[in-house]
Amino acid sequence: MDDIKDKSIHHTAIKICEDFKSSPSYQALFRDLQKLVSTPSVKYDDFKDSLLKAMKDNGLDAGLRNNVYHWMKTKKKEIACPHDTFFRKSQIHWDKRIHKSLNSMCTELGINLAKVRTVSEKEELANKWGELSNYEVDIHKYRPVYAPKDFLEVLLNLKGPTTRNKGSPKWEFAQMPLKVKNLADLRCLYLELSRGEQILGINSSMLSSTHYSALEAERMILGEKVLTKNYAPIAQEFLKKGCPQCLRAKIWTLILGAEVKPYHYSYFESLKESVLQYDLMIDKLIIKDINLTASNDDQYFVFEDVLYQVLLCFSRDGDVLKDLSTQPGFMQVVIKGKQSNTENTIIFPPSGVIPFHGFTMYAAPFCYLYDDPVQLYFVFRTFYVRYFHRLHRVCGNPQGVVSLCLQYEKMLQCFEPSLWHHFRKCQIHPVRVVIKWIMRAFSGHLPPEQLLNLWDLILAYDSLEIIPLLALVILVFRKDNLLKVNTLQNIEAVLADLSSISVIPLLQMSLLKD
Amino acid sequence: MLPKDEKFVFPDLFPENKAAKEEEETTLNQAKKGLQEFLEKNKERPNMPGCKFTVTMRVTFCTDLDKSVVVANCEKRGWMHVGPEDDWNIYWAGTQTCRSLFSVDSGYRMHDNQLINHFPNHYEISRKDLLVKNIKRYRRDLEKEGNVLAERGDSKYLHLDFIPVTFVLPADYNMFVEEYRKAPQSTWIMKPCGRSQGSGIFLINKLSKLKRWSRESKSPFQQQLTKESYVISKYIDNPLLIGGKKFDLRLYVLVTSFRPLKAYQFRLGFCRFCTVKYDSSVAELDNMYVHLTNVSVQKHGGEYNSMHGGKLSVQNLRLHLESTRGKQVTERLFDQISWLIIHSLKAVAPVIATDRHCFECYGYDIIIDNKLKPWLIEVNASPSLTSTTANDRILKHKLMDNIFSIIVPPSGMPDVRWNKIPSQEALGDFELLIDEDLIHLHEGENSSFLSKNNRWK
Repeated sequence: MDDIKDKSIHHTAIKICEDFKSSPSYQALFRDLQKLVSTPSVKYDDFKDSLLKAMKDNGLDAGLRNNVYHWMKTKKKEIACPHDTFFRKSQIHWDKRIHKSLNSMCTELGINLAKVRTVSEKEELANKWGELSNYEVDIHKYRPVYAPKDFLEVLLNLKGPTTRNKGSPKWEFAQMPLKVKNLADLRCLYLELSRGEQILGINSSMLSSTHYSALEAERMILGEKVLTKNYAPIAQEFLKKGCPQCLRAKIWTLILGAEVKPYHYSYFESLKESVLQYDLMIDKLIIKDINLTASNDDQYFVFEDVLYQVLLCFSRDGDVLKDLSTQPGFMQVVIKGKQSNTENTIIFPPSGVIPFHGFTMYAAPFCYLYDDPVQLYFVFRTFYVRYFHRLHRVCGNPQGVVSLCLQYEKMLQCFEPSLWHHFRKCQIHPVRVVIKWIMRAFSGHLPPEQLLNLWDLILAYDSLEIIPLLALVILVFRKDNLLKVNTLQNIEAVLADLSSISVIPLLQMSLLKD
Repeated sequence: MLPKDEKFVFPDLFPENKAAKEEEETTLNQAKKGLQEFLEKNKERPNMPGCKFTVTMRVTFCTDLDKSVVVANCEKRGWMHVGPEDDWNIYWAGTQTCRSLFSVDSGYRMHDNQLINHFPNHYEISRKDLLVKNIKRYRRDLEKEGNVLAERGDSKYLHLDFIPVTFVLPADYNMFVEEYRKAPQSTWIMKPCGRSQGSGIFLINKLSKLKRWSRESKSPFQQQLTKESYVISKYIDNPLLIGGKKFDLRLYVLVTSFRPLKAYQFRLGFCRFCTVKYDSSVAELDNMYVHLTNVSVQKHGGEYNSMHGGKLSVQNLRLHLESTRGKQVTERLFDQISWLIIHSLKAVAPVIATDRHCFECYGYDIIIDNKLKPWLIEVNASPSLTSTTANDRILKHKLMDNIFSIIVPPSGMPDVRWNKIPSQEALGDFELLIDEDLIHLHEGENSSFLSKNNRWK
């Protein structure tokens, strides 16, 4: 048994080494190592030990460890789910529908999926790159390809992989043979919350304010120490008890391994160049989505211009497609007016990600943390590749939207049967009122400060399971008002304004053991 | 010493007095009963002097602004809407009405249960030229006293340098030219003293442009303009930008008294953003959408969005600054803002006609530069109560509600004899900036408290 384990570690190590050698950060590390070896601190007769010690002293050790840690987080294989084939088929079917819809929109509008921008078009775009909100492009005929409610229909229509009785009502996820966490499991996972430990982000009015600022000061000192250690797993552990606002940007960057190096800038520049060169139909969808969301949002409108840059470049990023564990389906498109050969064929879109209504909201909150668009881009990209892509995919992963919806539904049934019955009586699917919260990870729904507290928890516990829990807790919090109304419209009205929600105290109350 | 026995009862050493005592008690009880009956009978006439229970007399209010936020807030409190001729307790008036009410000709004398929302000569702070004059005088006076606050370094005031260098034109023209010559090529902003909402404002970067303007404005067609005086201020050409855009801060400050000074700062405020990316180049000097943040200006721009109105909350500004620049510098910025508010008020306090019937809510306009230093641009004595967005409406409702909670004493009836020290709960979203009564109170009893909590003195 030990032998097999050893072997598998050995194989993983080889795989990591291979991947690392081809990564852009390898060159820099290798150079630094060479320099280190030539210093007197590394001795020829005690090469291994003296090198390891020197690496530790110079912080190269932490860098290498971080690399392994980030590899484990992003490259690890999807956890096999017994019904993988079923979900994969459903997703392929859904991808096809999306692609069909894109194609028919193109036919309807008389445009092409991909073409080369003319010199003047390219020039205009380049000139307005810094203020794309003033880039005039007619998008009034474009519609978002799908909205959360459309995706919900897809989920609700999933014919379970196991047969079920024909007569049973088709309005719950319960037929999905997925194992999801119950409250007891969540209490184990979110141990710091359920133990009632003091967590930053609790309303200062709840504690005496001098007490709170003492806690904050303490967390700041500790946080600074964590940052000097520069070791990602420690930063992740630190985040469990909340993060002072002024350290969040750095802590997140460290955990996500998204520090920007010079080659990141040139990479981003190449993405920009691709945006300038090709006119992809998806650009309009991105612009439309920003227009429909961030541009009208009093929390995010100031960041409109940077969001255009980040999201347009994101669509061109082939690494996203490469790194996504749930390989999305993509189209191969021949550039308009070119011969149909491999040279003129591009993957459409290069990132493989087709935005839905509200996709912008995955990126918007990062604008509060980072001034530099490039730094913002890489943090957002890593966050998306690690977590958010599962929120709009049909998959059986415990972190996928299907499992999250099921988790929410089961908990509602278990802990708030009166609400459950109320929904049933009103013929409203309980997931319907929370699907947009779940799909957008609450972005655009919670005020930014609260949202960042919530995303702290996603990173700290490396899990999205906090999202359905928060959705449930908000419903319970507003239960009395919900029970008074019967229509979907009124229920949505009760849940529309989340500006009074304090994330950490609510979650802590729900997880505290009695 | 012997331990104390709690159960021990002192023996009655004078039993003969017992009877007298009992008699006294009976008489007292009878008297109490009599009073009770008397009060019971007179319930219908609650204005009897000496009557103990609270009088439920309705507070009346009057307003000549057709603003739903004023009326709704007063009505929510159960106050009765009356006309200006009636007996009002609270008048929310425009500055004109207020001035004529206070003028000698009106002959109006307010009684103790009346409050009005302006000080008679509020223009000492709200007129651009007078504000500058008062602040300059305040600094000079402190300097004469040898006060450390007026300390200078490199010819600049170290602690009181919170307004851009400003001159009144045409009066200070020569002084302006002298200052201009120190740094030619710098940009200056011209504002008419008496106007608001960004009208009549323009930028200049050459002396010749100013000369041409003054020549043109003297032409017979524009006789009107010559009478108008202007302030010319050094333009803050390195404003802090967020998302590449310039903004200013609108903060609300309530003053319930100038002597002693009692002022409160509203925690909720907002940043007003320009719709166009900031560009300090000469080519854009005449594009006011780049430079002026006034909603009334921006509204006419093609890019204006009525969903957010170009307004970002101060809390979100703070979140962004703390996240990107750090806690310490952000806190210092907000401390400096409170500092400049207090000193601008102290600067006008000696000249404001103090009247116990008055309170006033000021709209402070502040620009932050890219070194995170706040600059006071101007003070508005009638900040707009019109709401441009949903969040704006919520903010202004809260503002009105909290103002009324602070100015009305616990009894619920406006009363100028009250000491104007509201309870902590009454403050709502206001924070105490300064209360000279409280400072004097604490000075007497606890000097260590003073050093901790009164950093503004």
